[in-house]
Amino acid sequence: MGLLSILRKLKSAPDQEIRILLLGLDNGGKTTLLKQLASEDISHITPTQGFNIKSVQSQGFKLNVWDIGGQRKIRPYWRNYFENTDMLIYVIDSADRKRFEETGQELSELLDEEKLSGVPVLIFANKQDLLTAAPASEIAEGLNLHTIRDRIWQIQSCSALTGEGVQDGMNWVCKNITAKKK
Amino acid sequence: MGCFFSKKSRRKSPNKDSALPTGDESATGNDLPETNNTALGSNSNQEAPKQYSWDKREKVDPKDFMLTGLKNETVGRLPGKLNGQQFVIQDCENCNIYVFDHSATITIDDCVNCRIMLGPVKGSVFFRDCKDIKCVVACQQFRTRDCKKMDVFLCCATQPIIESSTGMKFGCFQYYYPELAFHFKDAGLSIFNNNWSNIHDFTPVSGETNWSLLPEDAVVQEHVPLPDPESEFKSVRISSEASRSIVPITKGGRRTESEESCLFVFFSGDYTTANARKLIDEVTTKGFVLIQTKEVSMRPEDVNRVFQNNAESLTEWITKGPVVALELNGDGVVEACRSIANEVFNGTKVFVSESKHTSSRDVDNFFNFADMQMGL
Repeated sequence: MGLLSILRKLKSAPDQEIRILLLGLDNGGKTTLLKQLASEDISHITPTQGFNIKSVQSQGFKLNVWDIGGQRKIRPYWRNYFENTDMLIYVIDSADRKRFEETGQELSELLDEEKLSGVPVLIFANKQDLLTAAPASEIAEGLNLHTIRDRIWQIQSCSALTGEGVQDGMNWVCKNITAKKK
Repeated sequence: MGCFFSKKSRRKSPNKDSALPTGDESATGNDLPETNNTALGSNSNQEAPKQYSWDKREKVDPKDFMLTGLKNETVGRLPGKLNGQQFVIQDCENCNIYVFDHSATITIDDCVNCRIMLGPVKGSVFFRDCKDIKCVVACQQFRTRDCKKMDVFLCCATQPIIESSTGMKFGCFQYYYPELAFHFKDAGLSIFNNNWSNIHDFTPVSGETNWSLLPEDAVVQEHVPLPDPESEFKSVRISSEASRSIVPITKGGRRTESEESCLFVFFSGDYTTANARKLIDEVTTKGFVLIQTKEVSMRPEDVNRVFQNNAESLTEWITKGPVVALELNGDGVVEACRSIANEVFNGTKVFVSESKHTSSRDVDNFFNFADMQMGL
């Protein structure tokens, strides 16, 4: 490689830019998670009507995180954001047992999407701070995560509200970011 | 526990391969890296699975935090019995439900013909598949889906949202019991941040409205009655009178009679809340109307933009804590507020609109700023 191209390479990509899509049912805690990642105040969060986007530095990566509203009516718009996604983060309200089936359904449909094929997925079993929260192992079993064979995945229990478990999830993200199955 | 994973028949596109998404159909290669995990921290490279606070805490019976399948009953929780935990209400019919405590979050599913009081909720209140509900609710977020015919006396810190719901009516939170003010604090909610009248509908229908405002003179007790005097709640001294409401009654989006408004701002001090309440009493006695209130933190750079000409002295006042701002309305309200500031609040750090010609600009500047501050 010529000297000029080496210099250009060093200058242009000190941080690798990663596109992360943050999805899940409404009321799951996506926006709280986004704010937590950006170390911002999480005491006054409003239901997302469109989407939120933040850039976060983490372990040498620049993470561009897209948090999309999860109401049933606007889930069809999720596909507008699929293109060029490097990592999918799917957030589940572990304490909303009534909607486990619905969230399983949505996740399964996402994993079927052509434009998301091979994209690694981190599943946050969120709201573990709540007393009736199902443990991540129970959720993994109910979602049949072990049958996912076409991509790298991880389930991580967390509380976006307190921050516990969030960094562990993001560590996995950063470690597996370039491991997208082609 | 059964598998709640979706069945293939429910998938939207009928043309897809019929196999369950085990991944075999879409994999282009046939070997997967052995890095997938079925449990926490079970990567071969890591140490023993990490223990989180929820792994270590005492296990509780979820049933203690649920009301399920009740009919024709008066039930709920007395002050101190929930203490900030999650609460779940489901499949109830013709019940009077009183939650006289603060909680983390509450979901209400498949309830019919119930009257419900929910004390301050730190997170969200989410009604799903409910019908014929009358309720008094205080929360950070208010959400509904697939609900029909609900009357809601609401205190909500953010914009309430409804989805696939009809016949939804909203009024201002109006309630008192002795511990309620403490419960608001415990839940991290301000009595001055109440967006009860501007609802976002995710499924608007052309030519119809799914939601409206309750009549201003609606009597709370006629919607959500006081608990049966024979019940466990007889010890709770409740009032649903407007004058006693912990949350100030605001006109919100209702039409006003007068074009004249006034901005009144209390800067942080020991008696800010008490002073704000006193002002509300003074002006409402004189026949003026409280439109909206906000409790919000300001930075020095915000002061100039919001207060414009009066900014200099105020810049140091905003550093002590959040301000409480009120919009009052009525003919002659500015003059009335200025004289109240002089007589009643002499020595207190306040801002009052200077004249009725500049006051509507003050109001717009402040509340636009507050809305931006409290959005994302």
